[in-house]
Amino acid sequence: MTRDFQQIVVCALLVIGVASPAAAQVDLSGMWAPIFHEDQVERIPGPDVGDYAGLPINDAMRMRADSWDASLLTLPEHQCKPHPSTYGFRGVGNLRITTQVDDKTQAIIKLHTHIQWQEQRRDIWMDGRPHPPDYAAHTWQGFSTGTWEGNVLVVKTTHLKAGWIRRNGLLITDQATMTERFIRHGNYLTHIYVIEDPNYLTEPLIKTNGFQLTPNPNMQPYPCYPTVEVPREKGEVPHHLPGENPFLGEFAKKHNLPQNGVRGGAETALPEFMSGSGTRDPGPANRNATARTSNTGSRTPDPGPRDNEVHSLHVQGNVWLLHSAGVNAAVQIGDEGVLVVDTMTTGLGEKVVAEIKKLAGDKPIRWIVNTQVDSDHTGGNAKVAEAGESIIAGNFAGQAGQASANFAKVLTHENVEARLVKVQPALPQQALPTDTFFTDEFEIHFNGEAVQFIHVPNGHSDGDVMVFFRKSDVLVAGDVFNTNTFPVIDMEEGGSINGIVKSLNQILDITVPEDKQEGGTYVIPGHGRLTDEADVVEYRDMMTIIRDRVQNAIDKGMTLEQVKAARLVRDYEGRYGAARGAATADGFVEAAYRSLKK
Amino acid sequence: MAAVLVGSAIVLSAQQGGRAGGPPAPPPTPQDGAPIDLTGYWVSVVTEDWRWRMVTPPKGDFASVPLNPEGTKVANAWDPATDGSCLAYGAAGVMREPTRVHITWENPQTLKVETDSGVQTRRFVFGTPQPPAQRSLQGYSAAEWEIAGAGGRGAPAGPRRGNLKITTTMMSGGWLRKNGVPYSENATLTEYYDRFPAPNKEEWFVVTTIVSDPKYLNTDFVTSTHFKKEADGAKWAPKPCKS
Repeated sequence: MTRDFQQIVVCALLVIGVASPAAAQVDLSGMWAPIFHEDQVERIPGPDVGDYAGLPINDAMRMRADSWDASLLTLPEHQCKPHPSTYGFRGVGNLRITTQVDDKTQAIIKLHTHIQWQEQRRDIWMDGRPHPPDYAAHTWQGFSTGTWEGNVLVVKTTHLKAGWIRRNGLLITDQATMTERFIRHGNYLTHIYVIEDPNYLTEPLIKTNGFQLTPNPNMQPYPCYPTVEVPREKGEVPHHLPGENPFLGEFAKKHNLPQNGVRGGAETALPEFMSGSGTRDPGPANRNATARTSNTGSRTPDPGPRDNEVHSLHVQGNVWLLHSAGVNAAVQIGDEGVLVVDTMTTGLGEKVVAEIKKLAGDKPIRWIVNTQVDSDHTGGNAKVAEAGESIIAGNFAGQAGQASANFAKVLTHENVEARLVKVQPALPQQALPTDTFFTDEFEIHFNGEAVQFIHVPNGHSDGDVMVFFRKSDVLVAGDVFNTNTFPVIDMEEGGSINGIVKSLNQILDITVPEDKQEGGTYVIPGHGRLTDEADVVEYRDMMTIIRDRVQNAIDKGMTLEQVKAARLVRDYEGRYGAARGAATADGFVEAAYRSLKK
Repeated sequence: MAAVLVGSAIVLSAQQGGRAGGPPAPPPTPQDGAPIDLTGYWVSVVTEDWRWRMVTPPKGDFASVPLNPEGTKVANAWDPATDGSCLAYGAAGVMREPTRVHITWENPQTLKVETDSGVQTRRFVFGTPQPPAQRSLQGYSAAEWEIAGAGGRGAPAGPRRGNLKITTTMMSGGWLRKNGVPYSENATLTEYYDRFPAPNKEEWFVVTTIVSDPKYLNTDFVTSTHFKKEADGAKWAPKPCKS
C-alpha cells in the first residue's frame, strides 16, 4: 500500500466513521408567496370588530376583545408593533426562508424566516440548544427550536409577547406557546400552527396557511418610526367600557349570521353548532351574566425555576438580572465595583452574595439601592452589605465611624428609610440606609455610566424608587411594575392606582425600543421576567383600562361589593390574579376602588 | 483517485443499512404499507372561513376564490333555492364542509371516506389507475403513499413516516362553496393528507387541497383543512344533501 493510498483510506474511514449531522429532509429555503384562499377578508383588508367565530376563546378573551378600540393602534407605542409569529404567517408579504449551516460540520444551525410586513424576522434553531429560562425576555417572534419528523419540520415556540390571533382585539397572553409544522408538497408549503394559551383559550387553536414557491425575489425593507397621529392627554388609552362597545353587533347583522356564532367559543367550530344540536351560547347580551366562578388566580404565578436559588441573566451593558422565584434584583458591575438594586429576602441574602461573587469575582460591592421597603426587596441587605465595603472619609467617617467602611453603602428614598428603621425586630445597622434622598431624582456616576434614582410616589407606596442605568440602557422598576400579578397597592403607605398608572407612563417616557417596538431599553420588574417597552405598554394599557372601568363604576354610584361582583378585571384575572394576598383580582379591585374614592 | 475512493466510501456507507438482510421487502398491500393511519372518525374544526363554511354565504360572495370571468358569471347565476344541493358535496368541495368523516379500509387497496354532512362516499384507490368511463360527483381518486426520506446521513433509523397523496379526476363538476361557486368537469383535484399529534395529544390530520380548473379558475385554488380524531362515531349525524 503506498503512502498516498494509506492517506486516502484514512480520509475515507474518517468520513464513514463520523456520524454526519442530521440534514434537512426537504429544502424549505426560498421565497414563498402567501396564498390567500382562506380567510382572505380577515387577512388582507382586516377582520370586522366582534368577529370571533370559530375560535376557542373563553369569556376572558371575549371581554378583552369587546373592550378593544381600533384607535389604540394610533398610539405611538402601538404603531410599529409587528405581527407576532402566532399571526405573522397569515399576514401580507412574501416569506423568505434561508438556512444557516456551520461551515465546518455542515450541520444546520438555524432556519431564518423573514416576512416583509414590519420585517418579521425569526430564527428557528436547529442545533439542539435549550429554550431560555422563564425569566428571560419575550419577543414578538418568540424563541423557536425545530426538529425534523420525517419530511416535516416541527417547530416549538415559547417566550412570546402578548399578540394577535386576529386583528380585531383577539390577543393571546405572553404565556402562550405555539407548535408548528412546515410541510412541503412540491411547490406548495402547508404551514400548520397550534397555539395554546392557558389564559384565553379553552383548547388549542389550530390554523393552517398555504404558501407557493415564487421566483419573485421581491423583499422590500419596512422601516417604521412612530409619531403622534392623534393628540391626546398623556397616558390616554382608547378602549370601550364594558357593555358600551357600539360596534359589536354589526358584523353578524351585516352578514346575517347568528349572533351567538360570531361570539366564538370552541363549540362554534363544530359541525353540530349550526345544525342546532351543539351547545348554543347565551349571546353577547347574556355573556356578562355568566355565573361567577371562583377566582383561581394566576395560572403561572412566577417564572421558574422554583428552586429557591438565585439565578442571573445578563441583560445588557453592565447590568445583570438576579432572579429567584417570586422576586427580582439587579447588579451593575464595573471597574469601580458592584451596585446592587434590592437584595431579595433575608433567606436569600447569602445566595445573592454568592451569585454576585460568581459574576463580579473580587470586585467590591459598593452600593445597595432599595427600590422600596418590603422585606422581599430589603431582606438581604445585611448579608449583602456585610459582603461589601465602602470608601468613606471626612464627615461621614466621623459620623458613622471608620468601621462602616467594612460594609456597602445603602441608598434609598427617605420615605423608605423612615419605614425601615421602624421594622421590628429591628434590622441590624448595616441593613439600614446610609444615604437617602428626598428629591424627585438623585444621580451618581458609577462604573462609567450615569445612574439615576427616580422617585415614583404614590404607586405601590410613597417611597418607590426606579434605577436607570443610562449607558447600559436598563431600568430597574421595582414594584410599580410586575409581570406576575396585578400590582400590590399599599394604601397604608401611600399607594394608589393612579400612582401606578403614572409610574408606568413614567417608565415609558424613559424607554426607547430599538426597532419594531422591541429591545432597546430593557426593564427589570420587581417580580417576573425581563421585559422591554412593549411589555410595559401591555401592563400600562391594562392598568389604565381597569382604572377607567372602576372609576366609571364609582361615577355610577356602585358600591365596592357591586364592583367586585361585576368582575371588571375578568379579562385579566387569569393572567394576573394572584392566588392569595393583595394581588388577587378582588384585592386589587378593592385597592383600586378605595384609592379612587379617596 | 482520492476523490473517487472517498466518494465510493460514502456511497457504501449509505448502503450499509441494507447489508444485513438486503433491502426490506415492499409491503404486500397499501394497507400494510401505510406510513400513517387515517382510519377512524374525524371531525372538521372550522376555525377558518367560518362564514363561508358554517352558513350558506349570500349569492355572489366568493371572497378568496380565484374565479375567472366565466366562473364569476356562473357563481352570480346561482339560484338560492338550490341551497343544500349535493353539488356542494362533490370531491372538490366536500372536505371543506363542516362534517365528520369516517375513514376505513374497504379492502387492502381502497381507503373509503364517508361524510355525514351530505352523506357522501369517496374511495381512494391504490395501484394502477383504472378510471371509470363515467364522470361522477366524487370522480376517481388515485392514491399513493409518499414516504418520507430515511433521515440525514448518519441519522438513526426512525419510524416510517409519510403522507397520502390523492389525485382525483373524472369529476362531474360541482361547487366549491354552498352558494354555487363552481368547479367544472375539467377540474383536477390534488390532495395531500398529513397526520400529526397536537401538543395536548389529540390527533389531527390536515388535507391540503389543490383544485386546478382552467375553465372557472384563474389559478389553482389551494386550501388546507384540519380534522380532529374522535374516539368513536357517537356524534355521527348523517344529513343527506338534496340530489
